[in-house]
Amino acid sequence: MAEHNHHVNLHVAKFQAPAKLKTISYALVGIGLLTFIVGLMKNQDRLWTSYLVAFFFFSCMGLSGLFWVAINNIAKAGWSVSIRRYAEATTAFIPAILIGGLILLLGFKHLFPWANPEYIASHPLVAAKTAYLNTSFFVVRLFVFALGCLIFRYIIVGNSLKQDVSGDPQLTHKNIGPSVLFVLFFSLMFSFFSVDLLMSLLPTWYSTIFGIYTFSGLFQAGMAFLAIVIVLMKRHGYVKGYITEDHQHDVVKYLKGFTIFWAYIAFSQFMLIWYANIPEETEYYIMRAQGGWMGISVLLMIFRFIVPFLALLPRGAKRNDTHVLVISTLVLIMQYVDIYWMVYPNFFDGHVTFGFWEIGIFAGFAGIFLLTILSFWTKHSLVPLKDPRMHEAISHHVSY
Amino acid sequence: MANSTKGIAGIWEQESLVLKAARKTREAGFTKFEAISAYPVHGMEEACGIKRSWLPYVTFIAGVVGLGAGLLLTWWTSAVDWPINVGGKPLFSLPAFIPIMFELTILFAALSSVAALFYACKMPRIDPPVIDPDLTSHKFAIFVPFNDTGYDESRIEKMFKELGATEVKKTEF
Repeated sequence: MAEHNHHVNLHVAKFQAPAKLKTISYALVGIGLLTFIVGLMKNQDRLWTSYLVAFFFFSCMGLSGLFWVAINNIAKAGWSVSIRRYAEATTAFIPAILIGGLILLLGFKHLFPWANPEYIASHPLVAAKTAYLNTSFFVVRLFVFALGCLIFRYIIVGNSLKQDVSGDPQLTHKNIGPSVLFVLFFSLMFSFFSVDLLMSLLPTWYSTIFGIYTFSGLFQAGMAFLAIVIVLMKRHGYVKGYITEDHQHDVVKYLKGFTIFWAYIAFSQFMLIWYANIPEETEYYIMRAQGGWMGISVLLMIFRFIVPFLALLPRGAKRNDTHVLVISTLVLIMQYVDIYWMVYPNFFDGHVTFGFWEIGIFAGFAGIFLLTILSFWTKHSLVPLKDPRMHEAISHHVSY
Repeated sequence: MANSTKGIAGIWEQESLVLKAARKTREAGFTKFEAISAYPVHGMEEACGIKRSWLPYVTFIAGVVGLGAGLLLTWWTSAVDWPINVGGKPLFSLPAFIPIMFELTILFAALSSVAALFYACKMPRIDPPVIDPDLTSHKFAIFVPFNDTGYDESRIEKMFKELGATEVKKTEF
């Protein structure tokens, strides 16, 4: 657009990771390592369940960025170009999915009942599934997924970073093909990833919508994280003009939209199982309706859907920094609770179990996640300055 | 139609110029003027000083009413007026009612929004006055009605010309 109604003052500072945040991140990694080592010696069962929850949580965070960048590439979106680096930064965690997946294999027998031959022998229903649920195929799927995401990340984010140097507009077009392929690859392989890591914890149970359920949580949490980054980057003045209230507004619209989407998928999964009332399907919800789990199930419904939905409805709320920070943090916490809620009822006799094991392992992953994104921003410009669609992003404007 | 208003209109051929003109017109103290364009011009709301629409409130309230209506309908039909035992489930089974409550929320909210929009835009209006037929394709206009504060034809004409209007004419809208 030739003219805009307010003067644009453009500025990008070189990102320097705040020393405090770096120290905290290293401390978090230290706590994680310590918990991990003590856990290996003292309490393997607790260690691996908490590891699985944290691993899945941060894998989702890393993948949400790549998925979001890919759909924006496919849609040839111009408005989101100036905030792309924040989503790309989360993908710096993707190598950790591969390494973390390797480590997860150590705890394989503690987590997955179908890994025990005696369990399979006594469960003919599970024995019938061994063509899919067997160790070697599981490992292959995990590796294809982690490696594939790594390769797609290398291409898609790599092209974007190359453009920073060369300024070649062709790189933008070159990214469309890999983005389309990634979305197809992701939709299939992430379903497997979720089914393998979470659904197969209860091998007799199945839900055909499960992959979409975990995806909806992934995307909602990813947008919450993106919104937090936008608010903090604006507040600390690293970037001026390239990110505005309008970008924040649209990202929070994404957040609100996928809050509804999560509720829609969660309810679809629940209602069909509740209505049909087939024993193999209902066991999942029966486990989550007993003891303390009923409270957590209700908590999820309220704080993952009703509260964020109502709180993000008004226009002003999407443009209020503090409000966005609070609601986004709530969504991230509920993403953790959601994964916890999918994993833990299968263990510890169905008792709600939470303590320093869970916090310690989560802290370790959080530290690694923070360090990867901080180093990504330190190495690269905070804004892809030479993107051919940058003018659209700068003059992005959300009308009433 | 009977309720069109006399006034003066300037015609522009560039989006950027009409946006600037709208802002200047507002700054000159006019409050009842209209900016006319074939498509939404970004930043026009702020330039004209248009306040936010009250339509979202209609949508929200109608949605809440729809939600309640859905609950009332499902409760009354399946638990009060014609109770049928379905699969041994309680007569009042909220999960089964939610899809209907959801649909009625959307239905009420959507239809009320459209109705409110028609009311707000005074639609349908079958023979609106035509200031310039090209306003539906490539031209833009600002119309100041005669009853606006500080209405002065020669002054407005001079201002519009200075702001790059290709044409200024007395008309009605």
